[in-house]
Amino acid sequence: MSLKLRIILLVFSIVLAIITTVVLRKGRIPIKYSLLWYFSALVVFLVAIFPFIIEFIADMLGFTTLSNLIVAMIIVILLFLTMSLTIITSGQKKKITLLIQEVSILKEKINKKQ
Amino acid sequence: MKEKVILIIPAYNEEKNILKTYKSIINYNKKSKCNYDIIVINDGSTDKTEEILVKNKIKHITLIHNLGIGGAVQTGYKYAYENNYDIAVQFDGDGQHDVSYVKDIIKPIIEENYDFTIGSRYIDNKTSSFKSTFARRIGIRIISSFIKLFTKKRVLDTTSGFRACNKNIIREFAFNYPTEYPEPITTTELLKKKYKLKEVAVSMNERENGQSSIKAWKNVYYMINVCLSIIMVAIRRYK
Repeated sequence: MSLKLRIILLVFSIVLAIITTVVLRKGRIPIKYSLLWYFSALVVFLVAIFPFIIEFIADMLGFTTLSNLIVAMIIVILLFLTMSLTIITSGQKKKITLLIQEVSILKEKINKKQ
Repeated sequence: MKEKVILIIPAYNEEKNILKTYKSIINYNKKSKCNYDIIVINDGSTDKTEEILVKNKIKHITLIHNLGIGGAVQTGYKYAYENNYDIAVQFDGDGQHDVSYVKDIIKPIIEENYDFTIGSRYIDNKTSSFKSTFARRIGIRIISSFIKLFTKKRVLDTTSGFRACNKNIIREFAFNYPTEYPEPITTTELLKKKYKLKEVAVSMNERENGQSSIKAWKNVYYMINVCLSIIMVAIRRYK
C-alpha cells in the first residue's frame, strides 16, 4: 500500500474517532451507537498501521488493487449501517403512531368531561 | 338487536362529505330503528373537517398528527375495544359506502358465527353498478390471486374498506394493525389465523369529492408492496 493512502487512512480514522467523541460528549448519541463508529475507526486505523492485513485479504479474495477492496469494504459497512438505521426508524415510527393514538384518545376523553 | 355496533369512520380532509355521511347514518338509524354508534376519526385534517365535527356534535377523535388510513382506523378499533363494542364496522366518510348495507354485512357475524365480513362489489353483477376502473380491477384481481395462493381462500374485493368484524378481531386490531395497505394485509393475516371470513355483496358509489387513500394505484409500486407484504404475512408463523 502506498504511503499516501496509508496517511489518508490514518488521518481519516483519527478524524472519525474525534468526531464520534465530540458527538458523544455533547450527548447527541448514546454509547450504544458510538461503539460501531469507534469500531470502524479502529479497523481503518489498524489497516493504516499494518497494511499487510489488508494486503493478505485482498490477495485471498482476488482484488487486484487495494483501494478496490477498501471501497468495497466501506460499501458493505454502510449497507449494514443503513439497514440498522431502517430498523431503528421503523421501531420509532411504531412508537410514535401508538403515542399519537393514545394521546388523541385521551384528549377526546378530557374534552368530553369539560 | 342487542349487539353493540359501532361504525368507524376515518376522515382526512373530508369537509365536503363527512356531514352528508353522518346524516345518512342518523336518518337510517331513525328510519329502521337501528342503533349504530358512530366514531369519526379525524386524521389530522387541515381543512374544515374538525369545525364541522364540533359544530354538529359528531362524536369524534381528532388525531394530533396525520397517521394515514391504517393508523386512523386502528384508533377506531382501540376506541371500540375500550368501549366494549361487539361489532365494529369500517365505513368510509367519503360517501362511497351505503349505510343500508351495514345490516347485511353484520348479519353473518351475528347469525352465522362468522368472524369478519367484507362488503364486496364483485360477488354478483347486479348489486353494485360501480366496479371501479379497469386498471384497479386488474390490480384487485392480482391481489386476490395472491391471497388465494397463500391462504387457499378466494377473496374477491381485496381492497374494500367496507368491513365488519367481531369482538375477538376488534381486540386484535386494537393492538396490531398495519399502517400501510391495511385491507389486503389484514385479510391475509386473519385468514392465516383461521378466522372465518364471508364476503357480502354490497353496492358502492363512486366517490363524490376528495381523493382515494390509494393514490399510488397508477404505478406498479403499490402492487409490488402489497404482494410482498402478503408473502411476508403468509410465511410468518402463527400459533
